[in-house]
Amino acid sequence: MKLYDQIFGVVKQFRKLFSPGPVTNADVSGSITAEIFLIVSLVLSAILLRHVNVLLAGLVTMILAIMLISNIPLIPKFKLEQDDSLEKMLFYAIVALVILATFMYWGGNLV
Amino acid sequence: MAEVQLVILFTSVALVVIGLYSAIFLDNIIKKIIGISFIEEGVNLFIVAIGYKAGGIVPILMPGMDTTWFASNAAYPLPFGLVLTSIVIGASTLAVMLALVMVLYRRYGTLSTKVMLADTSKREEYNE
Amino acid sequence: MNEIIPIMVIVPLMAALLISAFSKFNKVTKIFAFVVALCLPLIPILSNYGLHYFGGYQPMLDNVTGVMYHPAITYSFTFLQQIFIAAIGLLTFLVIFIYLTKYKKVSGPYLFLLFLGTAAVTAMILTDDIFHMFVFFEILALAQVGIVAASSIDYSYEMALKYMILGSIGSPMMLLGIGFLLALTGSVNVSDIAAAVHAGLVNATSPVFLLSLALIFFGWLYASGLPPFHTIKSGIYSKAEPHGAALLQSFTVISMISIVLIMFRIYASLPIFEVLIVFFSILAMILGVSLALTQTDFRRMIGFLAVGELGFIGLGIGLGTNFSITAGLFQALNEIIITALLFIGFGAIVNATNEVDTRKLGGLLAYHPKVSIMLLIGGLAMAGVPPLSGFQSKLMLVQASLSCGYPELSILAIMVSIATFVVFVKTYYTMFLKPKPNDLDLENKEVPKAMIFAMGVLLVIVILLGVFPDVVTSGISNFVGGIL
Repeated sequence: MKLYDQIFGVVKQFRKLFSPGPVTNADVSGSITAEIFLIVSLVLSAILLRHVNVLLAGLVTMILAIMLISNIPLIPKFKLEQDDSLEKMLFYAIVALVILATFMYWGGNLV
Repeated sequence: MAEVQLVILFTSVALVVIGLYSAIFLDNIIKKIIGISFIEEGVNLFIVAIGYKAGGIVPILMPGMDTTWFASNAAYPLPFGLVLTSIVIGASTLAVMLALVMVLYRRYGTLSTKVMLADTSKREEYNE
Repeated sequence: MNEIIPIMVIVPLMAALLISAFSKFNKVTKIFAFVVALCLPLIPILSNYGLHYFGGYQPMLDNVTGVMYHPAITYSFTFLQQIFIAAIGLLTFLVIFIYLTKYKKVSGPYLFLLFLGTAAVTAMILTDDIFHMFVFFEILALAQVGIVAASSIDYSYEMALKYMILGSIGSPMMLLGIGFLLALTGSVNVSDIAAAVHAGLVNATSPVFLLSLALIFFGWLYASGLPPFHTIKSGIYSKAEPHGAALLQSFTVISMISIVLIMFRIYASLPIFEVLIVFFSILAMILGVSLALTQTDFRRMIGFLAVGELGFIGLGIGLGTNFSITAGLFQALNEIIITALLFIGFGAIVNATNEVDTRKLGGLLAYHPKVSIMLLIGGLAMAGVPPLSGFQSKLMLVQASLSCGYPELSILAIMVSIATFVVFVKTYYTMFLKPKPNDLDLENKEVPKAMIFAMGVLLVIVILLGVFPDVVTSGISNFVGGIL
């Protein structure tokens, strides 16, 4: 019952996602699909770590799955972080640049 | 590495870092654009510094010069040619950016990025 | 030496300049633009393969070390360039045709931007010189910003400025990476740099070389709109006029593959390179499609889908085998055609209804049956339904990742295809099949004939490529064999 309530709460939260304007059932079902797709695909891509280390892959997959499922709804948070404001875009671009440069300079040979 | 080159490289790194800082943290769009042009200038300076040669001569082959002597003493000319092009591109980019800022300033009456370039999907009204 | 090769860049560039200079002669401008646009796809098809050295400076052989040096900017024209330049030329022709028939009085500056963008991407895919590519990359960014800012859609200036500011961070970083390569090898010619790396003259594990990869890679992310640039890329698609957006996405795809092929030739020996490409491609697929599912503006939805599909191209190139790169490049060609079809088709709907919110639309199947059927086939092609072209390239990608030993990637690719299908079906249902809302007034506006013609042409290509993929894939495979 708890999971059902949680999913119902998720659907209610989607209303905020589509404001202003009405929420149609096609939009809600699309959002639920997006939610499931996001969880499954992230977990699936975590399995790719098995080419580095099988134990690590199992651990990361488990932790990621538990974390993602216990944090639903993810899509409103995801969408909020990827809106059109210049500040967020610039912030993520520069963070990506810094991580990329730092990682490559010191860790590019590790792979 | 010559000391001059080292100083130039440090300056260019400083310019890039200041530019990235101002791109994230400053709110005024003009200041942000100035910071961004710092990044461009820092990169240009870096590329100029690549072609530096201690005690080198201008890479123009004058009549009467010995070609082997010229080849071993002239500075490397390719970076200077590249930087020239890159400066022109940077100037045109800057001009387009400032033109867009002018249009937007007339519409919003402010230069704040938080107002001007915020997320637009949630805004209902559109003031011409 | 092949003198026709630079003509492919010079013709659109000169046309752009002439049109913007003489745009007050409306009729002459229209005819001239039409004729030039018609020539664009014909020139690459009619010319021979070969190399062109600007200024006639032939490659020099250093007798002491036995190394070839390329002093001139070199254009190389092979099957791959031919097919992509022909595709972009055809698309430019269709877009300019739509534009010319839509407006009585044409705008010279807008046509200038369209031709300039075409010239820039043509040069990017032809060139063998990394700095030359950078210059045209910047010109392309300016043209894209212009195309977005010229549209009459709300907030287009804001989006153009955002794209420009992000670009002014992305492109200097790419220049810095090129500067590192120049410092390491003393050359900007890709063949020379690649030869120096393969001969061991450059230490491939040195941090500077790795940093140059990181910086050029960041510039590539900006050019191709992979995360973290997926929001801005889908944003500029949604703020441009529909036919402009159709051209913009093709610019993105071609600049993506031209930069990644140059990077591949230089950095393919580094294992981290392929890991990076696959990582960002997966991210693009997941984020693009999951965000597309939550959009209510259908132009934005197609924008996010276009970004998500870019992940497939990256995946193919990141796997690094002959078969997978062929699949990735074939997917790139398909995506150019299919996404253009979708943008033009949805643009026709915007044209007829003045509405972009899917919640306020409905029942359009009865009013615009031709457009809706063509859109349906286009959407099925994008999702990868046989026998359309998207199916062939996606099947190749799935096979490639299976044969490389990454079944997870195959499953992920199939899942993303299914999610793409869901996005499309959801939008198609809300726009065409559900009952018409009462407050939606359709004033019996016709869809322009030019748009239907353009969609028909693109649809024929989609079906032909789906039935006869070998026409393209065998040639691409030969090209890939040359660079591996």
